[in-house]
Amino acid sequence: MNRSLLLKLLSAAIVFGAWEIAGRVPVSYAFPTFLDSMTALFAMSIDGTLLRAYGETLRPLVAGIAISALLGIVIGLWIGLSEFCDWLFSPIFIVMQAAPLAALIPLLVMAYGIGLTSKVFVVCIMAMPVIVLNTASAVRNTPSSLKEMGRSFLGSDFDIVTRIILPSASPIIFSGLRLGISAGFIGAILAELKITPTGVGDIITYSRSIADYPSMYAAIFSIILLAVLFLNLLERLEGQLFAGNNRGYVSD
Amino acid sequence: MRILRRKLATALLAVPVMFGLAGAPASAETIRIALAETPSDELAAFFVALDRAKANGLNYEWTAFSDEELAIQAVLSGQMDIGFGTPYAAMQRSKAPVRIIFQLSKLKFFPVTTKKYEKLEDLDGQPILLHSRGGGTDSIANVIEDKVGITFGQRSYVPGSANRVVALVSGQADATIIDLSNKNKLMRQQGDAFNVLPMFDVEASDEALFANLDWIRANEDDVQILVDALLSTWRDMNRDPTIIGRETDPDGPIGQLPAEILGGLDDFYIEAVKGGLYSPDGGGRVAARADMEWYSEAGQLDGDPESLNIEDFWYLAPLDQAGR
Repeated sequence: MNRSLLLKLLSAAIVFGAWEIAGRVPVSYAFPTFLDSMTALFAMSIDGTLLRAYGETLRPLVAGIAISALLGIVIGLWIGLSEFCDWLFSPIFIVMQAAPLAALIPLLVMAYGIGLTSKVFVVCIMAMPVIVLNTASAVRNTPSSLKEMGRSFLGSDFDIVTRIILPSASPIIFSGLRLGISAGFIGAILAELKITPTGVGDIITYSRSIADYPSMYAAIFSIILLAVLFLNLLERLEGQLFAGNNRGYVSD
Repeated sequence: MRILRRKLATALLAVPVMFGLAGAPASAETIRIALAETPSDELAAFFVALDRAKANGLNYEWTAFSDEELAIQAVLSGQMDIGFGTPYAAMQRSKAPVRIIFQLSKLKFFPVTTKKYEKLEDLDGQPILLHSRGGGTDSIANVIEDKVGITFGQRSYVPGSANRVVALVSGQADATIIDLSNKNKLMRQQGDAFNVLPMFDVEASDEALFANLDWIRANEDDVQILVDALLSTWRDMNRDPTIIGRETDPDGPIGQLPAEILGGLDDFYIEAVKGGLYSPDGGGRVAARADMEWYSEAGQLDGDPESLNIEDFWYLAPLDQAGR
């Protein structure tokens, strides 16, 4: 067994151990033990509750993240390449990033109703700014010597963007994606708690209202687990696309 | 090794943080009340009772939580002494030693629909708008299904009776269940467009005051003052609902509400008392029995309601004492 895996397991054991102890004390009647929560998680996975819930939750999450990633990188590139766009778009994303989203949800609901659209918007507002701003600053900071070299080798503008700027900016773009996608997960759950309870948000609120705290914590745990798995996957993808970027992030 | 040390340190840090959640022990002087919503006309009677209790030497402070479940959790973890709500499921499932001491209001809600429907049977298979899954209106819907022998179609959840009225008026829904004051307001303004479907009577609690049993026993005098004040207010209010408007402290949280709400206090309480929203004897055994049956039927309590022991859910001594 390699050392990093051992350390990862040890770290998990310590955190879950502390959770178990805190649940057994108990710190609160509303705080279940780790084992109870895992039993509830197992039960919910077996009877299909969790699967159905993720069927609901993943829709705004995947749509929002896909839109944010694609549009975010394109807009970010554009902002990074053109000063005009920088002035035009940057302020919007900086404001979006700073806005207290939970307080803006009533506005979104007023404009887009209580359906999928509002939830996708919440995910996008959470995820997009960091993707756009990271991409833009990475593109802007491409070493000018590399770009000059490209030009002196008679590279077209397209070549310079795809062969020089993108690979050089990719580590920062991907770190923006990682941050953006984590924020997107937060947004998806926020939307399900604040707009209408569906999917995982519904399990959380419903379990809480019938005092089934193990199920509530199991649902929260499952979404964290999914986010971590997804981020690991993203890092794998980065490794595939841009070998040489591997400096170790989440799977450290 | 450095990473290991850092991770160990983080984990060790997590333990005291988790223990810290347990909260400080209750102070004997000031009782901490967890409201399930921000002060509104519905809470005016409660604040009148609090003022009466204060005059008899009770010190209190209140915190408004954004929903009932948070208020319940705050009482369960000992950060608050007295909470608002009907935590039957929490009492049974989490084995928390929490007891109800006073019924504040009954679950008086009304199925309101567009002219499409005229009786509950018409709602078989039809979509309905409710407050939240597992909440009061959801339990009413469950019991309607049981008693009338129908099954609702898709249930959608929109918190807040006022918001459901908006959805109804704007045509986004054809059927919902709303509270007394919103029903009255809607029927006054647009009575020709909507029907209130006739429904069986519900005696179960909507809001009740509850506290940790150990805390109640350690603070019996304070609890007695509070329950005395509540019972006297609830009795006076049932005799003359306008006392709530008259006794409301203009400098208190209710007195600071907008003038339109204050102006409507009398009508609100006259209608509420007429509608039987407030039990003049604080609920007690009758309410407890009704709750056992209701919440069992609604799926919040497990087991045969006859076999459930009232004493496991209610602490009746202060109310008995106050009634003497």
